[in-house]
Order: sequence, then structure tokens, then C-alpha cells
Amino acid sequence: MTHASSTTLPHAIEHTGVRPPRWAVLGVFFGLLSAASILLYGPIGVSGTYPRFIGAMLRRVAPDYAAANPYLVKMGSLVTPETMLVVGLLIGGFLASRLGGVRAPHLELVHARETTSRQRYLDAFFGGVLILFGARLAGGCTSGHIISGMTQLAVSSTIFAAAVFAGGMGTARLVKAWRPQS
Amino acid sequence: MRLTYGLLVGIVMGALLQRVGASSPRKILAALRLEDITIIKFMATTIAVGAMATYLLSLWTPMHFDVKPTYVIGVALGGLIFGAGFALSGYCPGTCLVGIAEGRRDGLVALSGGIVGALVFTLVYRLIEAPLIKPLAYGKITIADVLHVPGWAVALVMGALFLAVVSVVPTVRARKTPA
Repeated sequence: MTHASSTTLPHAIEHTGVRPPRWAVLGVFFGLLSAASILLYGPIGVSGTYPRFIGAMLRRVAPDYAAANPYLVKMGSLVTPETMLVVGLLIGGFLASRLGGVRAPHLELVHARETTSRQRYLDAFFGGVLILFGARLAGGCTSGHIISGMTQLAVSSTIFAAAVFAGGMGTARLVKAWRPQS
Repeated sequence: MRLTYGLLVGIVMGALLQRVGASSPRKILAALRLEDITIIKFMATTIAVGAMATYLLSLWTPMHFDVKPTYVIGVALGGLIFGAGFALSGYCPGTCLVGIAEGRRDGLVALSGGIVGALVFTLVYRLIEAPLIKPLAYGKITIADVLHVPGWAVALVMGALFLAVVSVVPTVRARKTPA
């Protein structure tokens, strides 16, 4: 009932199972894309680009430190298919949003305590700190571990996925749901 | 050529994530609160189709597998921290980029936080490597290795199981409304 659908089909048809749901169609495409990526160059993954970007910056401003940091040495150069994947995400996201006709809001409040946009920005910032710290500690994120890792049947990615949903659902329960004041 | 492949895969992936609504923090929180699990079903379908396609293709042609190493403490702790950040921000490292591309301002803020988080990890890596990453390390193992079963068989069983579950479980939780 809160679903905004971009199809012009009557509401009733959508819910009688005449057409497969959108998440299923898009999921099949994403699964085939993920397999194609492993066929062409390697599994998809996003979070490794963050430390590679930091490495590229530090090699300019503090080359001695960058050369001595074992993690930056391990992560290597920014010139990888993964960096291009990140550029692609920006292009693909932009095109899909412009061609889709429905503009995304500048800001969506998601937690009860987000009564001001400032609080939403704080939650987004500290959440951002945690997702990258956690992803780098575990060696991957939603794409590299949960999608690509489980696609390859990796034991590590199965542990990661279970931990993410435990931590995520626990935190979501702690921070109460934001409800529109009507 | 590999760089071009990466770019093309990224463009399609960005479009798919935008269309399914994965770049919306509200959709992510609805999934984590089990109110509307569209995104979880999308991910499970992706994994099921991806695993079956990848392992079936691997019977005919060499694939660029790259399995991440298992080190129980770091992976589990990292996952818990990631999950907390995922619920707080409503973004993951990829969806905040898609969010930025469609004009979400908090996506840009989450990206900035992400760069800080990766920087902090880079700075403390030497300290946490010995206690969190070195212990309980079993290398690049898969479920198929552990079970001593061919990968394609595990992929087919897991894929079928995931597809069965997503087609049976309701997407939107029925609201407790008076009749």
C-alpha cells in the first residue's frame, strides 16, 4: 500500500501473480551479472576501493608512511577493475534515476530520533564510519562478501552475512522506527 | 580490457540497485525491521542465480574465482560492526554511491564517513592484525571444500533452497489492524 509502482498496470493485476515481482526480475539480472563478472575478470566488490583511494592520496602527501603501511601495500594500486566498478555505479545510478522518471528525495528520515536533518546526517556519517571499518576488518562488504562471496560458496562470507543481519536487525530494533507525523 | 569490464559491470549494477530501491535508506531499514523484505529477497535471488550460473559455467570454462579467506574473529566482528552501521546509516559502501548519483545528500555524508572509517582501519591495522585477523584462520575455504562435495552440487541445492524460501515467505509483513 505504501509501494510506489512505476508500472501502468491496474493495481489488481500486479497482486495476482500474473507478472513476477520486480525484485525477482532484478535479482535474476543481478545474479547473471555477478556470474558474468566472475567469468570476465573477477567477483564484484566495492569496499576495497576505499582504502585503495586512501593509499593513492597518502602516496602523494606522505609517501614514506604509505610505503611503510602494510595494509596500504597489501591493497595496492587504485588502477583496478574494482575502481572502475565504483565509477560505473555512479553512472548507472544516475542514468537509471533520470530515465526512471521518479526523482529520489534529497533526504529521507529513517529513525525516530531523526527529528532534524542534522541528526540524519550524523547517523549517515557515523554509520558510514562503521560500515567501512567493519567491511575492511572482515575483508568485504555487501557486494564482495554477501553477494560475490556467497555466490562462490565462501565460508567466510556466510559468517559475515549472518553477523551483518544479526548486527543490523539488533541495531534497527534499538533505534526505533521513524513514523511520519500525520 | 579488465578495466572496461569493471566499468560496464558497475554501470549495470548501479542501475539495478537504483531500480530495486537498494539506495533508499528507508527501504534498507524496512528490510532490517522485517517490515518489507524486498531487498533481502532481491539479494537472495541474486545469490541463488549467481551461484548456480557461476558453478555451472565453471564446468565448461575457467572462471576467475576469488574466495575471501576465513578468519572467524575478524569476519564475525567486522560483520557485526558493519550491520550496526548499515542500520544506522541505511547505506552500504556501494549503495551510498548510487544514492549520491540519484541526488541523496545523506549518501554523500555516508561516503565521507566511509572514507574516515577506511582511514581509521588503515591506521590501526598493525595493532589489530595479530588479535583479530591471524587467529582461527582457515584460508580460502568454501562450503563445498568443507563438505567434500562438488561446488556445482552445493550451488544447485543452495540456489533451489533460496529460491523456494523467497517465493514462499511474504514480502510485506501483515499489519496488525482491527478487523
